[in-house]
Amino acid sequence: MGKTLVVDDFSTMRKIVKNVLKQIDITNVVEAENGKMALDILKNDPADFDLVVSDWIMPEMTGIDFLKACKENDAIRKIPFVMVTAEAQKDSIVKPFTPDKLQEAIQKARTKAQRQ
Amino acid sequence: MDAKFINPFLIATQNVFKTMLSTHINIGKPSLKANNLALGEVTGVTGFTGDKKGTFTLSFSKESAAYIYKSMIGEDVATINSDVVDAIGELTNIISGQIRVELEKIGVNLSASLPTVIVGQNVAISFITRLPVIALPFNFDDRGTMRQLFIDFSFE
Repeated sequence: MGKTLVVDDFSTMRKIVKNVLKQIDITNVVEAENGKMALDILKNDPADFDLVVSDWIMPEMTGIDFLKACKENDAIRKIPFVMVTAEAQKDSIVKPFTPDKLQEAIQKARTKAQRQ
Repeated sequence: MDAKFINPFLIATQNVFKTMLSTHINIGKPSLKANNLALGEVTGVTGFTGDKKGTFTLSFSKESAAYIYKSMIGEDVATINSDVVDAIGELTNIISGQIRVELEKIGVNLSASLPTVIVGQNVAISFITRLPVIALPFNFDDRGTMRQLFIDFSFE
């Protein structure tokens, strides 16, 4: 299993997401503070990652801009992407969420990525 | 204050504890506060503006705050350090967001400030309203010991 990239500008929220991921047996996690840093990490080692869980609202590069940049890069566009938001948005998971909800969102993202 | 404004606070708090912390919390009897002192030692404070203005606080004993941290992050903590303070801030932020979602359902649209977290006993809170402060006590089971948390709010 590859690495999961967790992207959020709040370190506490990254820890919370990591704790929820641990509960669904995803433990190989790398953290980034914003979309720009996350994009650099993915570009450096695209084959290492098989999941991204990103916040929507962040400084430097927002979650949606980060997602767009991922989709424009052939090396990383197929990595499943889960967006975390405070309010309901299309293809996102809303805070607060249970491990079951996150697992469901990850499964949907993986299915969607396979179709691309 | 109209009683219909209390339910969003109850529903939001219970929902967040259930989903984020896998913890069922029991609701105590709401009351009007005789003073503006926080009842816990670690207190998250958020201001609301919009259709109404006011303040919401979420206050924990040190033991309750440590339980919250353990439930959110998965790590034990011996003292109230900056990580615990940040976790209480994040929890306050998420509950505040859920309260606003619930209030929107009854036609009240609010914006919220980022939370501030204060550590200390008998901390006085300025609620920026002229109305009395409503106190909502909750309790929950921490491995056989009942812990408390307190929500205070006032808005007009």
